[in-house]
Amino acid sequence: MLPDKLSSNLHGADAAGIDLATLTPGFNDTVHDSQGVFRALLDALSRPGKIVSIDAVLPDLDQDGSTAAAHVPMAAFAALLALADYSTPVLLQHEHRGLSDALRFHTGAPLTHDHAQAVFAYLHDAESMPLLDAFSLGDPETPENAAMLFIRVDSLTDGTPMTWRGPGIRDSHAVRINGVPDSFWHERALLASQFPCGIDCYFVHGGSVIGLPRTTRVEVV
Amino acid sequence: MSTSAQTPAPSGPATRREWLAILARTPRACMKDALDTALDGVSPPEFDWLRAPDIGLAMVRGRVGGSGDAFNLGEVTVTRATLRLRVREGRAAVGIAVHMGRDKERATLAALADALLQTPAFEARMHEHLLAPLAARIADSRAQKQARAAGTKVEFFTMVRGD
Repeated sequence: MLPDKLSSNLHGADAAGIDLATLTPGFNDTVHDSQGVFRALLDALSRPGKIVSIDAVLPDLDQDGSTAAAHVPMAAFAALLALADYSTPVLLQHEHRGLSDALRFHTGAPLTHDHAQAVFAYLHDAESMPLLDAFSLGDPETPENAAMLFIRVDSLTDGTPMTWRGPGIRDSHAVRINGVPDSFWHERALLASQFPCGIDCYFVHGGSVIGLPRTTRVEVV
Repeated sequence: MSTSAQTPAPSGPATRREWLAILARTPRACMKDALDTALDGVSPPEFDWLRAPDIGLAMVRGRVGGSGDAFNLGEVTVTRATLRLRVREGRAAVGIAVHMGRDKERATLAALADALLQTPAFEARMHEHLLAPLAARIADSRAQKQARAAGTKVEFFTMVRGD
């Protein structure tokens, strides 16, 4: 059940205006596909820096008429389909009719524009992403209430070299991600002192993700 | 859950709300026969599932006397399905079925019928050979039930005391 304070400012699954004639179908086999995606996401978050591919079969979100720049990676669509439900408000950084209609129809998740309310957020353009502490970091008693971000990046193999250390990584892991501004790493490092509160992120490119839990220490080389 | 849908008046073609109500009250065997008759050997268009038939629970709520506080009457199993016809051009018709029970086959037939009822090429035949007989079947069974109930009617009256 949604708390009362959430009921305003959300446009939920029952709001009219989903265009069924152009709606993108979801998973073929909802139960098993979303279990598979969940498993892959879990794997990515427990092995930070490992490139995990998501094998779900999903139709292309973008119908003709949308430019390449507006293309939503399959992995982000699959992850949101698998994770979101009626109790998890989703924030989409940019308006995307196909994605928002599909999420509302298939998952029943309400969409929000309020960063503090969002449980999941899809950030299409990392360069213009909002400040990290605008999102919910959770409370010390309920750190699981923090937001989870899906950040679209240009590449998971090519970019600024970084060294990641922390739980789930033996010694250290060299990671290269292209398309995330330096300010993001700086803001994220400042949040480390608030542990167990913090933000978990996924970097998404095409059908692959890299997980970055709040416990990982990132060193930009 | 709304129970306000009435059996359509015999005049004029049924609106979508009315035909969804008719389909929701029709058992699978009747629906299959009527759909076969209406299609008359023509194979129905291909379709894609937007939401393959799935089964869930819905809480039915009621109000005592229609005006009391709402209370939870109980849960019912509900099958729902949404499909979209494949069309070469123009807007594709979307068929929806939400039924009590766990019969996925029936939900599939009803969603297909709903989509065909919105397709100009099939519309007239479907109204004539699918909806009309099914509506008549429902009206008939309702009339029979009313007649049975009317037979048990008891007139209560009180003698006026003469004082």
